[in-house]
Amino acid sequence: MAASKSQGSYFGLFVVGGTVLCAGIAYIATGTGKLLLLVGAAILVASAVGFLKIKPLEGETPVLPSPESMKWLGAGVCLLGWLATLGGLHLVNSNGGRIVVALLGIGVSLFGMLYVLPVAFNKTAFWKKPAATSARAGFSSVAGRATLDSELTAAPTAMGGMK
Amino acid sequence: MKTWLRNHLLAGCILALSLAVGGMAYAETAAAPAQPAAAPAPPATAELREAAAKAPTPADLAKGDPGGTLTGNVADITVTDAKAGPTMADAGNQIGQNKIAINFVWTLVCGFLVMFMQAGFAMVESGLTRVKNANHTYMMNFFVYGCGLLAYWVLGFAIQMGGAAGNANLGGLYPLASEHSITLFGKTWGIFGETGYFLAGHAYDVGVMVIFLFQMVFMDTALTIVTGACAERWKFITFSVTSIIMGALTYPLFANWAWGGGWLSQLGANLGLSHGYADFAGSGVVHSVGGLSALAVCLIIGPRLGKFNRDGSPNPIIGHDISAVLIGCFILAFGWFGFNPGSTLGASSNGNLRIGSIAVATMLAGCTGTFGAILYMWISKGKPDASMSGNGLLAGLVAITAPSGFVSAPNAAIIGLIAGVLVCVSVYFVENVLKVDDPVGAISVHCTNGLWGVLAVGLFADGTSNYGGSWNGVPGSVTGLFYGDAGQLAAQLVGISTLLGVVFTLSFAINMVLEYVIGHRVSAETELNGLDIPEMGQLGYPEFVFRPEISYSKAA
Repeated sequence: MAASKSQGSYFGLFVVGGTVLCAGIAYIATGTGKLLLLVGAAILVASAVGFLKIKPLEGETPVLPSPESMKWLGAGVCLLGWLATLGGLHLVNSNGGRIVVALLGIGVSLFGMLYVLPVAFNKTAFWKKPAATSARAGFSSVAGRATLDSELTAAPTAMGGMK
Repeated sequence: MKTWLRNHLLAGCILALSLAVGGMAYAETAAAPAQPAAAPAPPATAELREAAAKAPTPADLAKGDPGGTLTGNVADITVTDAKAGPTMADAGNQIGQNKIAINFVWTLVCGFLVMFMQAGFAMVESGLTRVKNANHTYMMNFFVYGCGLLAYWVLGFAIQMGGAAGNANLGGLYPLASEHSITLFGKTWGIFGETGYFLAGHAYDVGVMVIFLFQMVFMDTALTIVTGACAERWKFITFSVTSIIMGALTYPLFANWAWGGGWLSQLGANLGLSHGYADFAGSGVVHSVGGLSALAVCLIIGPRLGKFNRDGSPNPIIGHDISAVLIGCFILAFGWFGFNPGSTLGASSNGNLRIGSIAVATMLAGCTGTFGAILYMWISKGKPDASMSGNGLLAGLVAITAPSGFVSAPNAAIIGLIAGVLVCVSVYFVENVLKVDDPVGAISVHCTNGLWGVLAVGLFADGTSNYGGSWNGVPGSVTGLFYGDAGQLAAQLVGISTLLGVVFTLSFAINMVLEYVIGHRVSAETELNGLDIPEMGQLGYPEFVFRPEISYSKAA
């Protein structure tokens, strides 16, 4: 779809909703503040609904569905590393011990960030797929030039009209 | 014993005499309102008035002052009573205001320099992307300023600095006195600030405005890091929304913990971890936050079409303008002189004369960072790669940002040199191992080297700095492991763990939600045609004639 009037409208709605919501937070102690908070939240929800409505118009992206649970697991492992560091601070009193505990926590977080998440996202990466398996998988590469397999092999794909 | 008695008797006599004189003085003061004219002026005040009488007159000044010896004298002191002339109180007030004025001007001018870094980022990022996406990349760098500023004004600043009162350099910042805290394990920990929304109410204050401007441009630097990493495939709408959320929430939260009186800065006072998390100018707060957010979005958005072959090997996608890249790097290096020395938040008193040392450390680390990257590329690849040289400069600057206020010149050079090599290794790792496509190397420059900079404080801080005699409320100087304080290293590691565990996760979660609601990536058609027309409606270089790329022509 690319950029469009409806995108601009819903973005405007998002900005207005966010500003009203923040005004509500700023004056939350007052009745007006609470009202602004509700109004702002409602406007934000409306903008989110609008974004959802126009999302399918974007057209086909090359990204293939990948395991959602594994993505959130990766994020959870990152968070777990931090919790381990925090817990260790209260269990260990010496500087040396705290350094070791913090390093362990960092290691856990890095495992989530640099192993679990890339594996989750790359499991079904579009660049791994041969052209014939799906329309989306038709995307591959030629050095220095993004293109379609169909452009090179004439295999029928959903993106054939792009040329 | 006799000596002890004699000393104490003497001290007692002096004390009694002082009290008697003080009492008389008080009696005189108390009596003064009855006959003010009769009270003799204190000698210092008399001297001031005498100097004022001898000061150059307007007639003298009207003749011109080519030597600059007449302009600016005792007659320029603002007096409370023009008839009585200047008093010591007037002189004291003037000195105090001059100190704050120097610090205000210093902080503001440094903030202006940091703001100009946006131009450098725009040039670097756009230069490293293809010509068909130039307008889109420039526009992201342009609009991120507005998105960030708006978000920070309405919410972000309050979260970050709402409880940051007590900065003596800027007059105390007393309106910012409300930090939301929780009590855990018997200690109070700051979580987020609560005053300063919209800069309204008590936040309508001269000092608050100065700190807002300075902190705002820092925040915007963090935001603009993401635009480079996700260039050439990011929907403008999603970029806009995520930038607003980052400026309102993600960045200010961590910045509060580190700089706004939050729990990381309290690790020293509460848990005895030396001076708590110390990040002088933001290797962690600005660069790691930006770099980690960039990594989160890059994972979600996926690589550009053509970046990876089916066997996973990466293809170089060359940027369109190396001159813009290198000029942009110089603009950034120039702006960094606002970033690091400006983070003293003053040039007068409280150890702020260290600004010269900080500026030189910044300069040196950038230099050795460039050397590190050039030598690494030249030796390992055979050519002193231009874009990696630029990234080496930036890596050195990013790495020295946190330690710049605490380290010596030789240590700054070492930190920069390591950063220059590290950025090359990291670029290789991100591309070849993680299979993450980062067109400008932002993750390696800002995330990897930001974390290295945070760690470097815990290793290289030499304990010679003295910013008012304490840091994060803990007396003494920040000192790293190599100078005998392992506690500081532990605090820095807790900061790194928080960046990885909280900032990355929060950024990832927010952007996953945006992926579900809006979608991050443009369509394949848009990406292949270039984002300039579909997303922006205009080519960056409308008079350029696009020709089929060589490799494609050959393949076809």
